Amino acid sequence: MKNLLPLMLREWLQYRFAWALLVLVPLALSLLLLSVGTIQLDDEMTAMAPQQLSLMVAVLSMLITATVLLMLLGTTSLFTALGSPRRDHGDRSVEFWLSLPSGHAESLLAPLLVHLLLVPAAALVVGYLAALPISLVTVGRVTGVGEWFALPWGQILPALGALLLRALAGLPLAVLWLLPLVLAAMMANALFRRWGLPVLGVGLILLAQGLERLFGQPVLADTLGALLVNAATSLAGAAGQALTSEQGSMPLEALPALPAWALRDLAAAYANMAQPLMAGALLVSAGLFAALVAWRRRGASAG
Amino acid sequence: MTTADHIAPSTDTLVSARHLSVRYGRKTAVDDVSFSIPKGRVVGLLGHNGAGKTTLMKALVGLAEPAGELSVLGLHPQRDRVALLQGACYIPDVAILPRWARVSELITLMGRLHPRFSAERARQLLARTSVGLGDKVKSLSKGMVAQAHLALVASIDARLMILDEPTLGLDVLSRKAFYEMLIDEWCDGERSVLVSTHQVEEVESLLSDVLMLNEGKLVLSISLEEVDRRFVALSHDPAVAEQMAAAHPLLKYRVQGGSAALFDGEPPPHVQALGRRVRPSLVDLFVALTRKPELDRQHF
Repeated sequence: MKNLLPLMLREWLQYRFAWALLVLVPLALSLLLLSVGTIQLDDEMTAMAPQQLSLMVAVLSMLITATVLLMLLGTTSLFTALGSPRRDHGDRSVEFWLSLPSGHAESLLAPLLVHLLLVPAAALVVGYLAALPISLVTVGRVTGVGEWFALPWGQILPALGALLLRALAGLPLAVLWLLPLVLAAMMANALFRRWGLPVLGVGLILLAQGLERLFGQPVLADTLGALLVNAATSLAGAAGQALTSEQGSMPLEALPALPAWALRDLAAAYANMAQPLMAGALLVSAGLFAALVAWRRRGASAG
Repeated sequence: MTTADHIAPSTDTLVSARHLSVRYGRKTAVDDVSFSIPKGRVVGLLGHNGAGKTTLMKALVGLAEPAGELSVLGLHPQRDRVALLQGACYIPDVAILPRWARVSELITLMGRLHPRFSAERARQLLARTSVGLGDKVKSLSKGMVAQAHLALVASIDARLMILDEPTLGLDVLSRKAFYEMLIDEWCDGERSVLVSTHQVEEVESLLSDVLMLNEGKLVLSISLEEVDRRFVALSHDPAVAEQMAAAHPLLKYRVQGGSAALFDGEPPPHVQALGRRVRPSLVDLFVALTRKPELDRQHF
C-alpha cells in the first residue's frame, strides 16, 4: 500500500478543477443572487429584534451553505467513486495504469478514500469558511452590514466549529455504514457498465419484495433503511436530540450548548457502531472489495 | 520449422519461459512456448493478428495467468507483479496515456509511483521532442503521445523493456523518431528490449534476435546471425522454377527481375548452382513460417 498517496495525488490532479468549479460556481451564484435578489422572511422572523434576527439569519445561512456544499461535492464525489473501476477504460489509459508498479487493491482503494472521505471532509471545511461571506451578504441585506460585524462571533464560530468537528469525526462512520452499498454499486458498474446502477436498483427492489412476500420478512428493506439512517445520524443527530431542545429555541441561547451537544452526539454515533449490523456491513464490504480486486486482476489479463 | 529453440545462451538471463501456455477459457492463446532472453538483446516478437503476441507480453508482466514455468528478472510475474514492474517497463499499446493529464503531471505521478523513474531524465528526453511539459495529452497527436510515452518509460532505470505494437497507426516519421529514441537513449548493451510490431522491415535492422509466433506456437526463436547462417535464399531465373520447387523450399516468392526460393538449411549443390545466393529478409522468413493461416483463409 506504499503507492496509496501517489494514487491519491492522481485523483487531485484529475479532479481539482472540477472540485474548484463545484465550490466556486455555486458560491458566486449565491453571492450574486443574495446581492441583487429579494430575501423574504416569515412572520416569526420579522417580529424578532434586529440583533436576534441577524444572529438567526447568520447561523442559518452558514448552516445552509455548508450543507449545500457537502451535498453537492459529496454527491458528485460519490458518483465518481462508483464509476472509478471503469473510468480508465474509456480512453484505454487503464493499460497505462496497469503497466505501473502499483497493486490492484491500492488502485481501487485510493479513489474510495479520496472521493468518500477527503472530498466530503474538504467540502465541510470549505463550507464552514465560505459560509462567512454568504452570511455577510445575507445579514447585510436583511438588517445591514453593521449588524453582521456586531454579531457575537466569539460564540458563533466556536459553536459552529464544534458542529463542523462533529460532522468531520462522524464522516468515517457514515462511510463505513454506506460502504456495502457503495461497493455493491461499484461492482455493478464494473460488471454492467452504464446499466450497473439500474441493474443493482432493480435487483435490490425485486429481492426485497421477494423476501417480504415469500417469508413475510422485510429484512432486506429494513437493513438497507437502517444502513442509510445510521449513515445520516453518523454525521448529526445520533443522540436523537434536537440541537436547541435543551437551551431554548433562540440561537443565542442554544449556541453555548452546541459543543457539549456535539460531543454527546458523536459519542452516540460511535456507540451505535457496536451492533451486529455494522459487523455484517464490514463483512459484506470486505467480500465486495475482494471481488472488485479479483475483477480488476481478471480484467487486466483479459485478452 | 523450429519450435522451442533458445536465443543465444547467456549466464545473465532476463526472461526464461519453459512450456508456457496461456488459455482464455477453451481458447489457447499461447501454446507450450519455451524461450529465453539474455541481457543486451533487442528481440522482435513477430506474428499475425491473434497469434498470441499480446497475451505472451501480458504474461511476462504479470497481467495474464500462464501455465508452465516463467521467470522474468528472476521473479514470478503474477505473484511479484509490482516488484517486477519496478525492474521492467512496459508499453502495452500506442496512445494510451490518460487524456486528462498534462505531460508534467504524468512526470510527477511517475516520479511518485516508480522508484526507478528519473523526472530529470524524462524532461531531458522530452526536450528532444516536440512535446511540451505543459501540453495536455488530449491535445497531442498520436505520434507525439507515443514519443511522450517512450520518453517517460525510457526514464525508468529498468533492465527490460516490453513494447507491444508501440508504433501501430503512426506515420513513418513518428515511427522513425520512436525507434531512434529507443535505440539512442535506452539500449546500452546491458538492457534488453522485446518489441512486437507489424512493421517487420522497419525494425529488422534494430533487432538482434527474433521470436515468431504462429497460432500461439513459437515457430522460431533465433538470433539474426543464426538466421543468416541457417536460412538460404536463392534468386533464380523463372525458367528453373520447377527444379527449385522440386528441392522443397520453405517459400517461393518474387524478387525484382525474377524469382527466389527460401530454404531451411543448405540446399543441395546442384540446386545452389541454379541461382544466386541472397540474404533472406525477416519478412520472407515470417511469411514462410506463418503462411498457413493465409492459405487456409483462401479456401473460404
